[in-house]
Amino acid sequence: MADQIQTSRPKGRLDSGACAAFETELTGYLNAGAQRLLIDFSDLDYISSAGLRVILMAAKRLKASGGGLALCSLNETIGEVFEISGFDRILDIHKNADSARAQLAS
Amino acid sequence: MFPSHIKGGTFLHDGFAAELGSDLTEVDRVGRLIEEFGERTGLPPKLIYHFTLAFDELLTNTISYGFPDGMHEAITVSVTLDDESLVAEILDSGIAFNPLERDTPDITLSVEDRPIGGLGIHFVRTFMDKVEYCREDGRNRLTMAKYLKDSA
Repeated sequence: MADQIQTSRPKGRLDSGACAAFETELTGYLNAGAQRLLIDFSDLDYISSAGLRVILMAAKRLKASGGGLALCSLNETIGEVFEISGFDRILDIHKNADSARAQLAS
Repeated sequence: MFPSHIKGGTFLHDGFAAELGSDLTEVDRVGRLIEEFGERTGLPPKLIYHFTLAFDELLTNTISYGFPDGMHEAITVSVTLDDESLVAEILDSGIAFNPLERDTPDITLSVEDRPIGGLGIHFVRTFMDKVEYCREDGRNRLTMAKYLKDSA
């Protein structure tokens, strides 16, 4: 489990109403011992601070356990939200899933 | 209530109003109302995204913290478009809360030091051209505006 790359692919909108399910999903992977997590944004249209909170939670847990988190395929507006948050400077963000996987596997 | 019409590329008066319950699923509903409004008026998608996000963050605050004893009070929202700006108002009878008093988060902190939360209001301030709060008649009134000249 620890060596595998666990992938989450949220769909549609990650707002305060939808982020509980997303948090449950990520917490499930982390509690099961996942150490390499890829969050693929290919199918995501929208994210609010509620969604970012869940990603920061996962980043903190993986940092503490010596694991890795990578994000990929952010659309333009989601990318802008990450920049305004300063998250683009503290998280590992890739253009596509292949690049993110390569980073997590290294 | 407001007929939708665009003439010669100029946005004419349009808008909508809605009454919401104090439940987080309402945030999604307002997001969809704003998207429909954006399609109907032909406003730039990026502006609509920013507007939706600002609305989302403010409503999430109000719904999450404004009604601590579990009462389900209505929240009224309205959006008005004229030639110069897109203006929104959120009115609620929850506890007095001025979201603009929150400190701006330090966005240079590391993952370890970064507090969870505080970003919502930062988005509102960043994406909107004007945000104002007042408490009147036992209600919170939040108004925000986006000027169209910057985003057309």
